[in-house]
Amino acid sequence: MLHQITLLGRRAIRETIRYPEATIPTLFIPLFFLAVNIGQVSETFPSSTPFLNGQGYVAFQLPVSLMFAVATATSGLALVTEIDNGYFDKLLVAPIHRASIIYGRLVADFARGAGGAALVLLAGIAFGAHVEAGILGAVVLIVLSALFGVAYAGFAILIALRTRNVQATNTSFLIFFPLLFLTPNFVPFDLLTPVMEALARINPVSYVIEGLRSLIIEGWNVDKLAVCLGVTVAMGAVLTVMCLRAIRNYDR
Amino acid sequence: MEAEVPKPERDTAPAIEARALSRSFGDGIDAVREIDLSVKRGEIFGFLGPNGAGKTTTVRMLCTLLPPSSGTAIVDGLDVEEAGPEVRNRIGVALQEIGLDPVQTGRELLELQCGLYGIEREAAERSEELLGIVELRDAADRRIKGYSGGMKRRLDLAAALVHQPKVLFLDEPTTGLDPSSRRRIWEEVRAINDGGATVFLTTQYLEEADELCDRLAIIDEGRIVARGAPEELKAEIGTDVVSIGLEGADPEATRHALQGLDGLERIVDGQGSLALFVTDGAGSIVEIVRRLDAAGITPGAISVSRPSLDDVFLEATGRRLAPEDDAGSRDGGDDAGEGEG
Repeated sequence: MLHQITLLGRRAIRETIRYPEATIPTLFIPLFFLAVNIGQVSETFPSSTPFLNGQGYVAFQLPVSLMFAVATATSGLALVTEIDNGYFDKLLVAPIHRASIIYGRLVADFARGAGGAALVLLAGIAFGAHVEAGILGAVVLIVLSALFGVAYAGFAILIALRTRNVQATNTSFLIFFPLLFLTPNFVPFDLLTPVMEALARINPVSYVIEGLRSLIIEGWNVDKLAVCLGVTVAMGAVLTVMCLRAIRNYDR
Repeated sequence: MEAEVPKPERDTAPAIEARALSRSFGDGIDAVREIDLSVKRGEIFGFLGPNGAGKTTTVRMLCTLLPPSSGTAIVDGLDVEEAGPEVRNRIGVALQEIGLDPVQTGRELLELQCGLYGIEREAAERSEELLGIVELRDAADRRIKGYSGGMKRRLDLAAALVHQPKVLFLDEPTTGLDPSSRRRIWEEVRAINDGGATVFLTTQYLEEADELCDRLAIIDEGRIVARGAPEELKAEIGTDVVSIGLEGADPEATRHALQGLDGLERIVDGQGSLALFVTDGAGSIVEIVRRLDAAGITPGAISVSRPSLDDVFLEATGRRLAPEDDAGSRDGGDDAGEGEG
């Protein structure tokens, strides 16, 4: 199966490179948010603000922009397009593991996520942020962001397989809003209103943001990183298993 | 004297065999209803029927994409439900909707297809060979989205052939193609068949079924209504067919006027026309015109022909496939030929 994943992953990466129209908008949004948020509140939260640890507000916002950059429906949309144009049937009728079709897409999600995260990180650095955990920390930041992108891709892939409908798959971005905004994305947990704090604390994505942010603001906080990785892997595992079941039972 | 070794059963067993094969969908549609099929090794078997007759559903069951609701299907000696992966290794499939990835080039698509079928070291060589067979070498390194309909169809055919399948399923392989592209596909299908592959071809084009198929089955509303070699099916009708365009004339009055005509076997309503199955078509024309004139009926065009597959379909179902559905006998189609893109 590894060979099949390699072949299909390579194809999906080639598709990403040749179809930049699908990727560029997903990078525009996080960069726009980063610029606007910094512009609006950097004076409200100067570098002397305790939770910024001496950095500008851009450092606090950067993880949210990283999440914006990697949490896309690109794979789901590519998959539903293939269902629509018949290429998906061509893959199903080949003597391959159906799972390799999903894993091939996720390989491309990782590559696309890593590229997007690197670009947003560079933008953040250009805006004045630095990664407290150093170069290795920056690499870990990119890898963790890309892994979250892989985990998140499961939503759109699942909707694509279940509905076989482009419009429905496109609406998977709606999941993005509660997941990314009911978090300590603008201020830490303890500065949120009680209701928002309660919601943020039960939202697993909060801990992904906290883990990424720790690398930028605090340095190496192993506990936060472990929770961040654990949440990402758990979310990815659950969604991937659901996607694998959906493709196994496709037309069955 | 050396004892004769019996041929292995697999070589004599049908390439495709279906027994009481059925498929229903959740919305209460019985798309395929207890069909029996037996396709011999090495033949081109046609599956002829109008849109929505159950052709594609049958193909999808036979090539493991859709499980049957009931019944069995054996392909190359293997049960499609029990041995799906092994069946997929032995079949090639080109479905009605051309399944190609538009972002790749033709060569990349074929090389990927080779890899998925376990052909690794020879992938480049095999792809080049297939590009030559389907005459796409010049376009091999262009992205597929720029191919014309005919080119896409030929590339899809090549993709179905990378692993030299024993059984090739072609679901309406020429739908939407212009006449020259259609004939090119026919030549390729014949060449593939000459190479030893059994071909199962669905079509709604009478001319295609007549031209290509050794034997065929006619399907309508999920049921097989006739089967046999095209010539046998036509010969079974055993009469000439006189078609009378009604042009607004009352079908019942026209029927009544023609009752008792010499050599008349039956009259079938053909949607806007009547088909008279008579022993001597040409010899009956004068009498037909005389009778209609006497009854005050002014018909449209009257023509005499030997029975066609359309007449076979008409006799079996009471409806015609042509001219409304038989684009195969018309010019045009949505394919602009070998357009550049």
